Amino acid sequence: MESLRIPTGIAGLDEMLHGGFLSQTANLVEGATGTGKTTLGMQFIQHGIAACAEPGIILSFETFPQHYYRDASAFGWDFQAYEAQDRLRVIMSSPEVTRADLQQINGRLEAVVNQIGARRVLVDSLSHFDRLSADPVELRRITYEFINGLKRLGLTAVLTRENAALLGETPDNEEELAFVADSVVMLRYVEIQCTVHRALLVLKLRGSDHHKDIRQYAITGQGLEVRTRFEGTQGLMSGTPTMTQAEAFVAAFLSPDAR
Amino acid sequence: MPDGDDFATSLMNDMDPRLLELIQTRINSFIKWDLVRFFHDNPHTADTADSIARYTGRDVRIVEPELLQLARDDVLDVEDLAGMRIYTLVDDRDVRDLIAAFIRACDDRQFRVKAIYHVIRSLR
Repeated sequence: MESLRIPTGIAGLDEMLHGGFLSQTANLVEGATGTGKTTLGMQFIQHGIAACAEPGIILSFETFPQHYYRDASAFGWDFQAYEAQDRLRVIMSSPEVTRADLQQINGRLEAVVNQIGARRVLVDSLSHFDRLSADPVELRRITYEFINGLKRLGLTAVLTRENAALLGETPDNEEELAFVADSVVMLRYVEIQCTVHRALLVLKLRGSDHHKDIRQYAITGQGLEVRTRFEGTQGLMSGTPTMTQAEAFVAAFLSPDAR
Repeated sequence: MPDGDDFATSLMNDMDPRLLELIQTRINSFIKWDLVRFFHDNPHTADTADSIARYTGRDVRIVEPELLQLARDDVLDVEDLAGMRIYTLVDDRDVRDLIAAFIRACDDRQFRVKAIYHVIRSLR
């Protein structure tokens, strides 16, 4: 049986995901500052409201709702109008309050889900959960419980998480959190010939096949656009890739002008 | 003939009586003014005094008593959640509309001067 897909509305990414995220799953979007995690999440919410009649919630743990309104409007998305139409709620709270609320029966979040019929949620960002526990095992348990609470409400979630490293590998505790998520999308800066590019990889998609190539993406006036795969380079996720052997071989026999 | 103080008061009272009453009885400090604006701008916020103090860039020891007074005056709701005291803007449409009218009125400098006058008087 084919599971219901929840398209992100991001051309290229939906193709990589074979149609979108699976329904009622928790999908981690991880990357360094400025890579477009929140934009991807807002686009997921926007597409749900505008194209799929699926109201959404943005759970913010530090960023003021006005910032989302402003940033969304830069892409032509009117989040304030959606709120007025009861198709969106931008809720600012702290991780401890949100967690406690989700644990109780008929909590505030559940009431909002029922009130607007929310189907999608952006949690921005899961990094703030770090302050709930210094113990990685306990943090993983808290995150797992939180994710299950969102699923219990029937929500398909995009959870952003900041990677402290601008270039290079993921810290160890990120792998812990990747384990509890149903899918992991990694956004990376990569340096190729003294120019910084953006790379996107779907690391995993539990319960489904997906494209495993590393693709270039850009943040345009319409949001994220996932483009073609990187060609001729290897070690992209290290942040400083090298040419593949084949590419290096070709390059060695070509003059700089001919490349 | 009214004395200078009465004359100033009559000038400063020249505003929508609902807003005058709101300022004199509920938004009667500058901290409350900030908090009301914060909840107006972020109407779905549900959080502790500690977090709200952080969001508004103030000391929780100053903010919490003001939040409690706003809750007592039916501007905010307060509820206990897992041992935490959580503040939210009241759902009451009339109160929300009144606050929205206050925030809109604050765009006008003349109104702000009058509102500041009343807040300072109530702080005396």
